[in-house]
Amino acid sequence: MLELESIRVAYGQATALWDVSLSIAKGELLCIVGPNSAGKSTLINAVAGLHRISAGRMRFEGQDISRLAPHRFCAQGIALVPEGRRLFTEMTVRENLELGSYLRAARLERARSLEHVCALFPALKEKLEQPAGSLSGGQQQMVAIGRALMARPKLLLLDEPSLGLAPSIVLDLFTAIRRIHAEGIAVLLVEQNVGMALDVAERAAVLEEGRIVALGRPDDLMARPELRRAYLGLDAGDEAATSNASARGVPAAHGDSAGAAPSTTAARH
Amino acid sequence: MNFPSATLLAQSVLAGLFTGALYGLLGLGLSLSWGMLRQINLAHFALAFLGAYLTYELSSHRGIDPLLTLAVIVPLFFVLGVALHWVLTRFRVSPFNSLLVTFGITVIIEALLQWTWTADYRKLESSYAEHKLQIGPLFLPVPELITLVLGVGISLAVWFALRSTDLGKAMRAAAEDAPIAAAFGVNQNALALMLSGLNAALAGVAGVCIALAYTLSPSQIYAWIGVVFAAVMLGGLGRPLGPLIAGCVIGVTEAVTMTVTAPSWAPLVSFSLLMFVLLVRPGRVA
Amino acid sequence: MKRAFLIVLAAGAGLAVVPWLGLPAFYESILYLVLHWIALATSWNLLSGYSGYFSFGHGAFFGIGMYTTATLATRFDIPFLWTLPAAAVVAALVGALLGAVAFRVQAVRAELFSLLTLAATFVVATIILNTPIDGGPGVYMSAVAVPQIGPTAAGTFYLLALCAAVLTVLAALAVYHSRFGTGLFAIHDDEDVAEVMGVPTYRYKLGAFALSSGLAGVVGGVHALFISYVTTGDTFTIAMPLTVVLMAVLGGTRHWAGPIVGATAITLLLYAFTGGDSAIIGKGLTGLVLIAVILFMPQGLLGQALKWWSARRDAPAAPAASAAPAHAEAPAASAHAAAPVAAASARPAANAGEVLLRAEGVRKSFKGVHALRGVSLEVRRGEILGLLGPNGSGKSTFINVASGHYAVTAGLIEFEGRRISGVPAHRIAQGGIARTYQIPRPFAHLTVLENVALPAMFGAAALDRQTAEAEAWQWLAFTGLTERAHALPADLNLHQRKFLEFARALASRPQVLMLDEVLSGLTPSEIDEAVALIRRIRDQGATIVFVEHVMRAVMALCDRIVVFNRGEVLAEGVPHDVMQRPEVVSAYLGQAMEERAPVAPASAHAVVPNAGKELAHA
Repeated sequence: MLELESIRVAYGQATALWDVSLSIAKGELLCIVGPNSAGKSTLINAVAGLHRISAGRMRFEGQDISRLAPHRFCAQGIALVPEGRRLFTEMTVRENLELGSYLRAARLERARSLEHVCALFPALKEKLEQPAGSLSGGQQQMVAIGRALMARPKLLLLDEPSLGLAPSIVLDLFTAIRRIHAEGIAVLLVEQNVGMALDVAERAAVLEEGRIVALGRPDDLMARPELRRAYLGLDAGDEAATSNASARGVPAAHGDSAGAAPSTTAARH
Repeated sequence: MNFPSATLLAQSVLAGLFTGALYGLLGLGLSLSWGMLRQINLAHFALAFLGAYLTYELSSHRGIDPLLTLAVIVPLFFVLGVALHWVLTRFRVSPFNSLLVTFGITVIIEALLQWTWTADYRKLESSYAEHKLQIGPLFLPVPELITLVLGVGISLAVWFALRSTDLGKAMRAAAEDAPIAAAFGVNQNALALMLSGLNAALAGVAGVCIALAYTLSPSQIYAWIGVVFAAVMLGGLGRPLGPLIAGCVIGVTEAVTMTVTAPSWAPLVSFSLLMFVLLVRPGRVA
Repeated sequence: MKRAFLIVLAAGAGLAVVPWLGLPAFYESILYLVLHWIALATSWNLLSGYSGYFSFGHGAFFGIGMYTTATLATRFDIPFLWTLPAAAVVAALVGALLGAVAFRVQAVRAELFSLLTLAATFVVATIILNTPIDGGPGVYMSAVAVPQIGPTAAGTFYLLALCAAVLTVLAALAVYHSRFGTGLFAIHDDEDVAEVMGVPTYRYKLGAFALSSGLAGVVGGVHALFISYVTTGDTFTIAMPLTVVLMAVLGGTRHWAGPIVGATAITLLLYAFTGGDSAIIGKGLTGLVLIAVILFMPQGLLGQALKWWSARRDAPAAPAASAAPAHAEAPAASAHAAAPVAAASARPAANAGEVLLRAEGVRKSFKGVHALRGVSLEVRRGEILGLLGPNGSGKSTFINVASGHYAVTAGLIEFEGRRISGVPAHRIAQGGIARTYQIPRPFAHLTVLENVALPAMFGAAALDRQTAEAEAWQWLAFTGLTERAHALPADLNLHQRKFLEFARALASRPQVLMLDEVLSGLTPSEIDEAVALIRRIRDQGATIVFVEHVMRAVMALCDRIVVFNRGEVLAEGVPHDVMQRPEVVSAYLGQAMEERAPVAPASAHAVVPNAGKELAHA
């Protein structure tokens, strides 16, 4: 349904994504994990149309959307739940949800969609007339997801939904995400919280420094070293075996200062 | 200094309301431009006077009823507003520079007005000016009444539209977070052009009201700038009812001050209020 | 600068003979006006052009000057010339008062400041009109004796205006070349960063406002006698400040001579179209000119001309396009990398390990969001301390709070035993803390060299301009930016801009250097270069606090790390050790992950941690 072919995305002169190729099938739930500044948000923003791609191709349901204007992405069937929620804080919850269904096709089904969102997130029912900015982080996240669902998307993009939320709320959120997925909506999920992400994913990709370094089923990825290395900087095996350790930037150890001696053998990538 | 009678006081409160409504009408377009489009449109006042002079011209010399001139002015000014916004976005003019560019436009329009109609004072003699309503001891001149009705009516209409229509909500969303609004299909560029056109049209309407009640001269453009900015900032940027309410507060306070003390103290009111708001609650404004 | 000074004085002296040339009075009138507007526009530019705080209240101070002279001369019979200093002082005091109040409020910037000053004009006007100062009928100055300076009255006024103009221009010139001026230009580009680099922004803005107002007051005083009938209606208008803005913007606000060009051009333009219809055309033309300049030539006529001129002389040591006073040639600095810079600020290694920066119970909230919930940590001299943690965990906030960019909501931060929480940022900078920004924030209109010289001037080192520039050259060499010294930051790529951030932070000779995600966005090889640079910096004796996500850099560089999670410190210690602790793994990889794949035993790593740390975990 969604195909990314060797896309490159740059911010000014800084290239954030290099040569990323990915595809998502209809109704699939794909997760992207990786440390910060790896390019995860950039990837989602590119798919959402918020950011232009500088090279490569992007296709949705066969149509080339690489050069599409930002406000036309929603009509294609792609809806975004942005990083940090980005609700319209001055507007009420109801107005935020209604804005999700701004486009004509979604507008016609507005009442039904609203009911559906309230069924999915019952806590929102009493909060409909409150300004969105007054809700707690978890509730705001629900509104953000609801807003995207109101657009009746075929592909739902979630950018770090667990950011800044307490673990129990994160659990509830992911339950909701599972339910959404169960209804047949394809989901592209970018997450920092690897555990939750891999738990819910059908397939996952690991993004590191702007490139995909691993792609596959969650269980496979768990067993591979890329994840630990990307997040924790730790090698899974002993470092002597890493023959691909180039001699980049590893000068001799400097003198001791009081306190821990730096591990001179740590940098091996 | 005798304390004025109740009638006199009531009449001045009324006068203040009338003036306030005009401040509100003038301030509405300015507030929306600044609050939602991040453009400080100093030319708003010049446009209003352009509208006033056009009304004067069409009415005095072509015999058209002043209120009917709206049919010409509103669409014409809408186009002007769209053009202005287009230029400002095309050149990526920063909010501050928009202040300077629109000042330039103000000067050009002022020169244009002076060229066409000279610097002599012009007064529109209309049938409306001759009529007054009377309620008890109070007089309500018809031109001012029209201004009040238009000011309140339009402010309410805009307020309602922004609050309850899909288009209005889309505009508010785009004003707060344009990229995310775009992610849900809101075409911010098109909406902005439309809003800019609307604001200019509002200037035109204010111009008609000015023509009905006031004597015109090109230099008068500048007399309104200060007090209307005060109303806009006190009312809170981007809030449709703000300039109206703040305008009335300023207008009434000014009028009462003028009656109780001397007319020349009036400006102190609005500007001290403005300075106070700027210093104490600037966040509320910008 | 001396040369420009002498040129201005010479021009002044030259122009001073005009009254004796026997020209028709008409010429003296025009010249009076030109000089009048030069003085007004230049004095305005001193505050507004340099610092970016566009005042629409210049008319207020001009008017105050006028009325001071008018009142003193007519009411108190003080000889005209003595009223002029009084006019300056009164106007300056009012300006200082307004500034003292306005600049305290952080949010009053740009448009708000403009409106505030505009409002002040009307307030002043109303007060003057309604009190005995004017009272309504205006003040007649015809009884005041015109001093016998020139051969005629017109000549005298001309000479007075000339003096005012020369005085103002010399002031603008002096400020332009001074430390004060550099600070103002930095405030123009990025006030917050300037403050964090040690520029005392409040003081400088206040000083500029007072100076600008005082000079306008003098011009007003002279003008009062010239027009001999002073009314509020003609004085306190909005047209006057707008005209001054137009003149300065047309000429170029970033240069001391810009307003001269603009004032001359506009005055002559308006004069060329005098009388009746032409005046109207002239007016319309000025509007058109202003629009054209803003849209197409934002740096003004002079700025554009200087740009063209320096583009032609593209020798490597050519002065920068902004015509800033950089005369330093590249000293014989060796190529980058190897040359150790002698300007290390470290104490001897014997003190290594002592606590340099200490945070205790630091809290920071923004509108209900608790970014830091009681953080306590220590930074020891000579170490590289890494701050890690998931997004939103508070690492950057901590840096912002420690550098004074934000104030703490609660808690204490001490540096070398002295409290710095709650201290203005510029003093923290002067105390020896420097930081870089994750998204580089160079001063856009200053060259690379000037960007690096500024913190050397205002930071802990507090050097004078010459030494600061020499210092800057050394740091440019250290970071490999020597060839780009005269470029503007916009011409650098991201890698270079990040290194510029390094150079700037280093130039202030800090004890503690805080790096905020300096590696994000860099390619792998650029990251390696940066890592090597950071090592060299530490070898110089600096202590480094390092917020980063690129794990291999963290592992390679950090002596200790502190892991943040949701506003609190989660763990602290040696990198390899900390990154294996279950709570840390869990924070990063999530609960489920931790349960599925238990951490590999530390014995698999051939690391030699300090004695006292356990080897086996979970």
